[in-house]
Amino acid sequence: MTALASGSHRVRLASKRQHMTLTAQVRLVAVLALFGIGVGAILLRLTFIGVFGEQAQAATRSALVDPGRGDIVDRNGVPLARTINGYAIRVVPERLIGDRKVLAGKLAQIFPDTSEERFLKLLSRTKPTYLRHRAVPEEVNRVHALGEVGIEFPREKERFYPQLQLAAHVLGYVHPDGHGVSGMERAMDAELIDPKLRLTPSALSIDIRVQAALEDELGRAMKSYDAKAAAGVVLDVETGEVMAMTSLPSFNPNQFDASSAAFEANQVTYRFFELGSTFKPLTVAAAIDAGTVTDLSRRYDASRPLRVGGFQIRDSHSSGRWLNVPETLVHSSNIVTAQIADELGPERLQAVMRKLHFDRPAEINLRETVKPLWPASWGRLTNMTVGYGHGIAVSPLHLASAYAAMVNGGVYRPATLLKLAPRDVPRGERVFKASTSARMNQLLRMIVRDGTGRKAEAPGFRVGGKTGSAEKPGAGGYKRSSVVATFAAVFPMDAPRFVVLIMIDEPAGNQASSFQRTAGWTAAPVVARLVPRIGPMLGIIPDDRRDVDVSELMPLLWKAPVKAAAKTKSEDPA
Amino acid sequence: MFGFVPRPIAEMPWQIICITLGIAGFGVVVLYSAAGGSLSPWAGTHAIRFSVFLIMALVIRLFNEDFIKLWTYPGYIVVAVLLLLVELVGAVKGGSQRWIDLGFIRLQPSEVMKPLVVLALARFYELLPIGQARNWRAVWPPLVIMGIPFALVMTQPDLGTSIAIVTGGVTVMFLAGVPLRLFIGAGLAGAAFVPVAYFFLLKEYQQNRVLTFLDPESDPLGTGYHISQSKIAIGSGGISGKGYLQGSQNQLEYLPEGHTDFVFATMAEEWGLIGGLVVIGLFALLLRWATFVSLNAPGRFGKLAGGGLTMVIFFYIAINLLMVTGLAPVVGIPLPFLSYGGSSMMTIMICIGLLMGIAHNTRQSSGSGGRVID
Repeated sequence: MTALASGSHRVRLASKRQHMTLTAQVRLVAVLALFGIGVGAILLRLTFIGVFGEQAQAATRSALVDPGRGDIVDRNGVPLARTINGYAIRVVPERLIGDRKVLAGKLAQIFPDTSEERFLKLLSRTKPTYLRHRAVPEEVNRVHALGEVGIEFPREKERFYPQLQLAAHVLGYVHPDGHGVSGMERAMDAELIDPKLRLTPSALSIDIRVQAALEDELGRAMKSYDAKAAAGVVLDVETGEVMAMTSLPSFNPNQFDASSAAFEANQVTYRFFELGSTFKPLTVAAAIDAGTVTDLSRRYDASRPLRVGGFQIRDSHSSGRWLNVPETLVHSSNIVTAQIADELGPERLQAVMRKLHFDRPAEINLRETVKPLWPASWGRLTNMTVGYGHGIAVSPLHLASAYAAMVNGGVYRPATLLKLAPRDVPRGERVFKASTSARMNQLLRMIVRDGTGRKAEAPGFRVGGKTGSAEKPGAGGYKRSSVVATFAAVFPMDAPRFVVLIMIDEPAGNQASSFQRTAGWTAAPVVARLVPRIGPMLGIIPDDRRDVDVSELMPLLWKAPVKAAAKTKSEDPA
Repeated sequence: MFGFVPRPIAEMPWQIICITLGIAGFGVVVLYSAAGGSLSPWAGTHAIRFSVFLIMALVIRLFNEDFIKLWTYPGYIVVAVLLLLVELVGAVKGGSQRWIDLGFIRLQPSEVMKPLVVLALARFYELLPIGQARNWRAVWPPLVIMGIPFALVMTQPDLGTSIAIVTGGVTVMFLAGVPLRLFIGAGLAGAAFVPVAYFFLLKEYQQNRVLTFLDPESDPLGTGYHISQSKIAIGSGGISGKGYLQGSQNQLEYLPEGHTDFVFATMAEEWGLIGGLVVIGLFALLLRWATFVSLNAPGRFGKLAGGGLTMVIFFYIAINLLMVTGLAPVVGIPLPFLSYGGSSMMTIMICIGLLMGIAHNTRQSSGSGGRVID
């Protein structure tokens, strides 16, 4: 009985134990299922975040907070473009507590450039809206003081150009998507974004002090001559480095908007002009180099217009006599230059122009470069007009690089906006013989000493150069009243170091220029003021005791008698 | 199969060693990137810590089950006293304190408490006479065992750890056969209790975290910052990631706690969805192994303890991943093997060690015929 009872008890216990074990197993499987569900839910969520929905939003947002863009500095390390932590001002309309109209009024007071209606419209949206990007701390404080909880101030990485308008065309600007739109921001986009390279600032060849002087002088000239536009470039003749480059009117890359878009084109590289008489030294150099001009004292007939086919080549101010080569450049005679080009022949002039890269887009790091207007057919007449800079249109940078090649001993090097280490300077391609280059240096100096470039003279800086005043083509031929005035200067002429190219688009004469529009009166004085400012910065010390020796050529210039000299003074240098 | 390998080496639990090595190794790789491509301050220490704790786990594995059972209750009592001590020291020093500085190590008793509560409850249900499991006497002592550390940790205040302690304990109760209606009832009561707890028990910063969890975008620069940045980091990684050492959120330190609680986001930004799948896949293997250890354990203690310990591991993984993906509030639970931090790794490795021990016992008791899970 007891045995039986204890036996049944044991059986019951055993079955209970078995039951408990089974329960545990079943419940463990339930726990395992819970694990499965948990892991599955996390996987789904992860896939959702990683693949759909928030990815695009996250990508743009992370681009906003992290443009990850390297700094740009000038050749001396002065910051030109930096990425900084800025403030944005954002409204979350549903959390606004104050009256929207009152708030809009107060905001319009803080930001006078935006109307009250515009703010009211932004505040009336349902979604969170940005009122402002790149607000300065003072503005943020004032908005904060309004005490509106619906307005917040997220931090954002912003591209900041501390030099404001200076070198705006060189730098360009950055789209909110984080990529450069123009200038070096565009050209160096890949390097600036690269996580490894962006840690070190990129040094441009620009010297911001030279740039400031150039923009100051050029801007003043543009204003005083009431010109449409102006452009300038300072180029190192030995390396091709651009020390300064400007295109006016400029814009502020910190606030790029529709109004600045009109000035976005860089006229130094992205527009071409018929640069006129500034081509004459190139033609003469080509002729000396080719041996068709061997005797500088040889005289050419400039007493009457030159007839070629049905076309007449005339000088803007006829000298009415025969001119030798130095006189041709000093007085800028189209007639003689055309004859020199004709003797040289189309093949040889064309070959030199090609060697100067006038047949292809300007060589520089910028992406905004234009292909020159190269004559479709290079006949005899075209050859003669190209000789004095008509019928061919190149960018100012083309001309600056060509001048550098002409004066540096004859070697063409592409221009660059990047600071070059001495070992990185390209070898270049020889265009002119060194002897030709030396001869041209004498001639360019004579033009400034005694010719149309007199107003470019800067005492002690040994400036040389050539004027160019090309009438702009308009409807029905060239317009006498709209001129592109160019001065291509080189200094110091005894050992050329820099080319300064100044271009003023459609200057109107004023009292200072004796109401003249031509380059000798408008562009040349800019050089005279600019060179003494930038010379010392570039290591050129004014020195009266030095100059290129032109004594052998000076006797070739026919000096008018004293009586006539008074007359020449008012003569229009072209 | 491995006849040429010496028996002690062949019998090592290679499967689980490989899994944990894999995850922790990946953790070292991620922490290397989180420090901007440097072994210090995190990656190197992480590797050393893991090696030490892995050896510790392998030592725990060799403990006799009877030895563990013997020390379960005394251990529980000692750690509970330590918890109380921490509380008192914190009260004296001011501010909340969670660890005791023993000089050579900062012991965080609440961490050791998680596996100990599981062991204590498993021991309790093992000793409970059969037939009493559905009795009230099967319920109140476990509630006390859990309640004491829960209350102490809650006042630290450490919401995440206190919930982890309860989760492990409740799992053991569930496996022990406590009637389902009790769990359902407790669940309903808990749901009713949540608002009360929210308003009266949680500190303000904890309330904020819950609020922010419900609407992270409401305060993208405040408490919601963690979640927002974490989601941005994961989202911007896309499918294949930005590439190793290329994650901007982390490299630029937008992501807070990018090396501890939010290490998964750091990883996902650089390795993308693929990296996430690999990590979760390894965790799934780990959980599968742990659950089968419990399923195959012959003894009641092993089965219950194994289930509870597995749940503790799962709790870490699930809460952390739900947190970084914005599905759970920010509660400060690290991700096992990936997050930098010694205490949590020690807890997890104690759990792994105990589980390896249970598997070891199963193997020894069933001879060579049993399912090879060790």
